Amino acid sequence: MPRRPSPSVAPRGSAALGLVAFLAVVAAFAVFPQFVRKPYVLHMGVVLFLAIVQGQAWNVIGGYAGQYSVGHAAYFGIGAYTTTMLLELNKIPPWWGIWAAIAAAVLVSIVIGSITFRLRGPYFVLASISVTEIIRLAALYFKGFTRGAEGFLLSEIPALKIGGAEIEFYTKRPFYFAALALAVITVGVNWLVEHSKLGYYFQAIREDQDAAHSLGINLAFYKNVALAISAAFTAWAGGFYAMFVKFIDPNTVFGLDVSVQFVLICIIGGIGTILGPVIGAMVLVPLSEVLRNPKGLVQLGLLSSDSRFVQFVEEHLSNAHMLVYGILVVIVILFAPDGVVGLIRSGVARLRRRASARERAQAATTT
Amino acid sequence: MNVFVQSVISGILVGGVYALIGIGLTIIFGVMRVINFAHGDLLMLGMYATWLVFTKLGIDPFVSIVITAPLLFLFGAFLQRVFINRVLNALPQNQILLTIGLGLVMSNSVMLAFTSDYRILTTSYSSSSFHVGGISVSQPLLYAFLITAAITAALYWFLMSTDTGQAIRATAQDRDAAQLMGINVRAMSVLAFGLGSALAATAGALISPTYYIFPQVGSTFTLKAFVIVVLGGMGSVVGATLGGLIIGVTESLAAVYIATGLKELVVFVLFLALLLFKPAGLLGKTRA
Amino acid sequence: MATILDIQHVSKFFGGLAANSDVSFSMEQGMIMGLIGPNGAGKTTLFNCITGYYPPSKGEVLFKGVKTNGMQPDQVCRLGMVRTWQKVRPLAKLTVLDNVVVGALARTASLKVARDIAHEQLRIVRMDGKAGFLAGGLPIGERKKLEVARVLATQPELVLLDEVMGGLNPAESEEIIQLILELKKRGLTQMVIEHDMKAIMRISDRIVVLNSGEKLAEGGPREIADNPEVISAYLGERVE
Repeated sequence: MPRRPSPSVAPRGSAALGLVAFLAVVAAFAVFPQFVRKPYVLHMGVVLFLAIVQGQAWNVIGGYAGQYSVGHAAYFGIGAYTTTMLLELNKIPPWWGIWAAIAAAVLVSIVIGSITFRLRGPYFVLASISVTEIIRLAALYFKGFTRGAEGFLLSEIPALKIGGAEIEFYTKRPFYFAALALAVITVGVNWLVEHSKLGYYFQAIREDQDAAHSLGINLAFYKNVALAISAAFTAWAGGFYAMFVKFIDPNTVFGLDVSVQFVLICIIGGIGTILGPVIGAMVLVPLSEVLRNPKGLVQLGLLSSDSRFVQFVEEHLSNAHMLVYGILVVIVILFAPDGVVGLIRSGVARLRRRASARERAQAATTT
Repeated sequence: MNVFVQSVISGILVGGVYALIGIGLTIIFGVMRVINFAHGDLLMLGMYATWLVFTKLGIDPFVSIVITAPLLFLFGAFLQRVFINRVLNALPQNQILLTIGLGLVMSNSVMLAFTSDYRILTTSYSSSSFHVGGISVSQPLLYAFLITAAITAALYWFLMSTDTGQAIRATAQDRDAAQLMGINVRAMSVLAFGLGSALAATAGALISPTYYIFPQVGSTFTLKAFVIVVLGGMGSVVGATLGGLIIGVTESLAAVYIATGLKELVVFVLFLALLLFKPAGLLGKTRA
Repeated sequence: MATILDIQHVSKFFGGLAANSDVSFSMEQGMIMGLIGPNGAGKTTLFNCITGYYPPSKGEVLFKGVKTNGMQPDQVCRLGMVRTWQKVRPLAKLTVLDNVVVGALARTASLKVARDIAHEQLRIVRMDGKAGFLAGGLPIGERKKLEVARVLATQPELVLLDEVMGGLNPAESEEIIQLILELKKRGLTQMVIEHDMKAIMRISDRIVVLNSGEKLAEGGPREIADNPEVISAYLGERVE
């Protein structure tokens, strides 16, 4: 009989161990910029942390609640545009603007949820895509409001004054730490959700909606809560992205490929788990960056500037990251639908079974 | 009045091709209950194959269908056998992700091979039109429509009158029952996916003289195909035919009477309304 | 004894088909009502109507005096009425314990309290040893017991059991029968759909017979067993 440690029956030690490991990793990331000052490395760090946030955010609605939205770019884009427009047009700094962005995304998520949640399975997926396409097309069309395909170019972010200190947002360093903090917060929120009534109810909805309904779970309410949490963090990532990259347009932030990427980060890492999106991000981000910008490996000092690998990738595989995503998705769905985390878990279970079988065999021979 | 009639006629002509795309998708869904997100990319492959045959061998795009359709049929059969077949019993969400992944591989491979440059296929009649009673009818679109009508008629005949066609319909109606009656349902699945791919590719070939050809062109058509299929009713070939025509006309009228930039948005809004209020579509059975 | 459930002229139509047709009966607190009839008689449909899975087309359902037609299943659950499913619905990727915790969370927001309740229910159905097992890997007998434990965790007053003995061997069925009788001692009201006639005769205080959507007969076990209409429509022969 398969046995899997769940939060309710795992020994208390393992939770504490996980926490220590987590804090150690965070500390390592926090201290890292002291030793490595190359802006490119910090840039990659930000991209990685943002990917973790995007994956964790999607995980709440897709992994825990089982509602596969392939239209999450809607919230990402709303976060990006709201923050940008408030800064550029109203001179509101992003640390205030982001709250408006999150609020806007949550409101929109409630509207979208109330429309789409009565649909199930593939129909829900299709509806989620349609809604985001509508938003993207509207953003392209209503140029007076969003500047359409021309996009928004950010001029500059004001400095943040706290106490006596002044933090500039000109170099990559402050972004690195802000992104790290955001990633830590998102992972923490996911952990809290998983170990709360919300987490249980979301997963019940995922496993069997009708059973969940009959057990006292208000489907519409809880699905909307899951979506709101997810939308909030996705929008936060969107606003952050806009400030970091300093240029947005409807196709970059509302595009279907953006939505697909959020799903991929989770699927490849392992949906419905906390580690999954982290692992997924750690696989996808370096991969896509190496393909997009092989010279980056030179900048990192990992390869020499006349490396054949760099040349090959530049000549034949530039912008092939979506191709690699596609191949990865196919492989994962066919051979490891529970992602990397799922593979690790079944590997561990297999080892445990072999160990206990050996024990039993030994015990049998000694009697 | 003329503008209206013109608009409707253009819409019908394009709608015919849309119908072909929809029919392919609905057959796949009907037989396998798989939602094929790579359908538009199969169309894209058809477009590129047609373009290649045209530029390298000088064969007219409408004539080269006899080459590209069988080619894509085999490709679709291959996809089913190697990939789709393994997920027939998986969660529908995973099936969708698999087809999304396959679509990504297709469109990005083409992008790597041919770059993202927009290609155009210009035949001698690409920009010609017939003028009938004050209405201008685009020549390539008219030919495309006529060919579509012929193919659709042949398809109906195949599905209604041949043993294999009836076997496909039986599998679509009730897979288990069909299997119990001795129908090789796995072969039917391969056939259905091959057929769906061939139809998508044919649609691609038919519109290649009038549309830009580029690697990402598939995604718009995939979404449109879904609107058509849901409108007509998932699994209904007649429904997809009607759906294609309706969407073609709606788009055309929206472009004229609302705004060209909003015509796709209108289709999506319609789609949402459909999903919410009549997910079974015009002729389908509710299997949501 | 107070009337806990009152079903008044309930009908349910699906297109032209009358799955339930003018069914009326009531249940007192603490009793066990058997609901029997041939397949397709409308028993599960009735359960669905009562618990809000879909509303009845006609008629009223009064639970503890409150009109429940039109309510959603989760509201009905909170009022105190729950059901198990003919085709078991375990939350497959969750553990046995977590399945029952989901039920317990209907009454508390605290995970600790919910887990305690869950352990208690698992003890009642004698599955506490399997708390850490994945629900999806259980054999059918244990899945049925899990489903009972899960609904018990919602602290209901009325439980509707839909063929909870279906597919079980005699030993497993006997366990369920003992469980049902034990629950009755604890004051729980139960309505039981079953095809196992011996079991129904043993546990039921009263029996309602449905046939083709209509109520064919109602009465004590002996009455029903002797009723010639029931015998010809369903039983086939007299049950001792």
